[in-house]
Amino acid sequence: MTVTVERDGRVVRRQRSRTDRPRRPHSSYALFLLPGVLAFLAVIVVPFLMNTGVSFTDWQGVGSPKWSGLANYRELMDDSEFWASFRHSLFMVVAMAAVPTVLGLVLAAALFDFVGKHFGTKVAAVLRACFYLPQVLPIAVAGIVWSWILAPDNGSLNALLKAVGLGSLQRDWLGDPDLALYSVMGVMVWVQIGFPLVVFMAGLQRVDPQLYEAAELDGAGWWRRFGHITLPQIRPEIYVVLLWCTIAALKVFGAVYVLTKGGPGGATDVPSYFSFTTFFEKTQVGYGAAISTVLTVIILVLALIGLKLQTRAEDAEEGLRA
Amino acid sequence: MSTTRRRAVATAAVALAGSLLLASCGGSDSGSSDGKTLKLWHYEGPDSAMGVAWNEAIKEFEAKHPGVKVKFEEKGFEQIQKTAPMVLNSNDAPDIMEYNKGNATAGLLSKQGLLTDLTAEATQRGWDKKLSAGVRTTSQYDTGGVMGSGKWYGVPNYAEYTMVFYNKDLFKQYGIAEPTTLDQLTAAMDTFVSKGITPLANAGAEYMAQQYLYQLALSKADRSWVDKYELYKGKTDFHDAAWTYAATTFADWVKKGYISKKSTSLKAEDAGVSFIQGKSPILFSGSWWYGRFQTENKFDWGTFLWPGSNLTLGSGGNLWVVPKGAKNKDLAYDFIDITMSQKIQNLLGNKGGVPVGADTAAITDPKAKTLIADFNTLSGKDGLAFYPDWPVAGFYDVLVSETQKLITGSEKPDAYLSALQTAYDKGAPKT
Repeated sequence: MTVTVERDGRVVRRQRSRTDRPRRPHSSYALFLLPGVLAFLAVIVVPFLMNTGVSFTDWQGVGSPKWSGLANYRELMDDSEFWASFRHSLFMVVAMAAVPTVLGLVLAAALFDFVGKHFGTKVAAVLRACFYLPQVLPIAVAGIVWSWILAPDNGSLNALLKAVGLGSLQRDWLGDPDLALYSVMGVMVWVQIGFPLVVFMAGLQRVDPQLYEAAELDGAGWWRRFGHITLPQIRPEIYVVLLWCTIAALKVFGAVYVLTKGGPGGATDVPSYFSFTTFFEKTQVGYGAAISTVLTVIILVLALIGLKLQTRAEDAEEGLRA
Repeated sequence: MSTTRRRAVATAAVALAGSLLLASCGGSDSGSSDGKTLKLWHYEGPDSAMGVAWNEAIKEFEAKHPGVKVKFEEKGFEQIQKTAPMVLNSNDAPDIMEYNKGNATAGLLSKQGLLTDLTAEATQRGWDKKLSAGVRTTSQYDTGGVMGSGKWYGVPNYAEYTMVFYNKDLFKQYGIAEPTTLDQLTAAMDTFVSKGITPLANAGAEYMAQQYLYQLALSKADRSWVDKYELYKGKTDFHDAAWTYAATTFADWVKKGYISKKSTSLKAEDAGVSFIQGKSPILFSGSWWYGRFQTENKFDWGTFLWPGSNLTLGSGGNLWVVPKGAKNKDLAYDFIDITMSQKIQNLLGNKGGVPVGADTAAITDPKAKTLIADFNTLSGKDGLAFYPDWPVAGFYDVLVSETQKLITGSEKPDAYLSALQTAYDKGAPKT
């Protein structure tokens, strides 16, 4: 909301700050937030600050930590394994955010616009549930099942390829360093796809059907309607999904732990797994804490940028409507 | 809202929040110091040789200590491994706990003063006499947490060692005799390869691959080489003859098809199952597989020590440790004593474990007899060379990761050894 004020004889427009808002009559309800705030402090803020504190020490997890200043962060800057794990994270963003968002959009629109209309909403709902199923499965279970599917000798994928005469395409999907990351990415696409699909289908429910009808009358085909109506109308959902999935991709751990343990030869290592092994296996607790602190800061920054972009886009949209 | 109601709501909110905070800080039970409870943690499966023996020991302990209850909690290996330092620093520490042996584990805890010095008990109760030199190594740690000398911080009641498990039926089918030399073993593997069978079961994603490699190095090594590597009694050079032989031979074996290139992502369980299913005729691994193979193998099988080597991987088993903050230490010592008794040791031996103080005449199972006899041979010639990942915390992951590269061929033996050298030098104590 903008207000007009006079400053130094000039009339300026400025955003109305929150403090300008009239005081709510039931401000005492804020008290109900107290347990949540305290729990947030106890479970998130305090451990994060402690972790940050530990990251400035040389500590093995027991005994007294030795203050080492920025040594862990300096080491991190030159640690090729850490940066390699970060590069893998970017691949994970593609697999867990970019690809599922695009596929989710197309599938949601197809289910809503085509399957729902021609086969009924029940069929669309069943298909939606099928796509969502991997999200319900614990990642440990999904990972173990996929490791059977992708097993080199008796895995079902290789068996299937052989059965259909494509034996030459058989590979050691999780054991070949050139392939392992792409295999994990494939599994993650499968895991993630249901989430954007469900969110986008919910978003499509609120789009005015008259827009589609008008466009259809004007002769717009499915892809044209998708590009000019569906996409702009569910932009807020797209932002939310992209942000949510990007954060999930940056902190992915379970799938890597179950499928490859960062291997072969570090080919699928990601920062959270790297931090875990440094922390618990190598008992370099200070260094592990530095890795997770950096990871948290990066995720926070990305989240804030994402939220800012989303707010700006929404404001711009509201401005256009006004 | 009236002021009274508002206050009431505020009080309730603060109380709830306070209790949440307290809960998050961990309202630990203060432990029992009544001499009536022995709080015991271990992570052996109930059907394993150790699990059966320890359960019997608990029964015997309760019979000998009327009015004392053993409060046993079964933990996971990972659970104890990852949380032990934190637990031992708290009031929740048990009175006695099974813990992994080695510098980076029990050594680290002893260095930090979290474990009780058991030296007096070990001498007084005669545990030191029951354990051979090789087995005892992992019980004692110096002030720097390095095993092999110093005070007693743990007591192992069993031992473990690696051996070659082989499928006698498959060997017979292809007319191969049990190999007694490395050349014969190599010839046997050539025969299998020529028949389209990958002879060695392997698991690149876990310990098995690095154990093949370490065994190859050990076949060219001696005790002083092991002491340098494991106990830092000198400089370890990964480009020496033993390590170079190991890395080049391993890479060569992958090329020749003795070890599958596709074993990079496999876990130890996959390799074990492959042997159990009769797909792989040979598996080189530890005595911890013995009981399972006895139960699940549907074919005739046997074992032999790695040919042409005085040393093999092995050590005392996991340790009983008594946390510094244990409330009932005397009860804990009594329990250790019972697990060291001949009755429990014999039971352990008959269930497929490797006891450290069994009466060999009381072992009735013929396979168990062989297992124990082989161990006694090994122990008699001081042949336990520990495990390759022990010297440096986190070295296990380095070995897994680097050996995977050796299997895929993405790293040459020389680069492989250099990578190990870098990681070892970074983690080993500076002398």
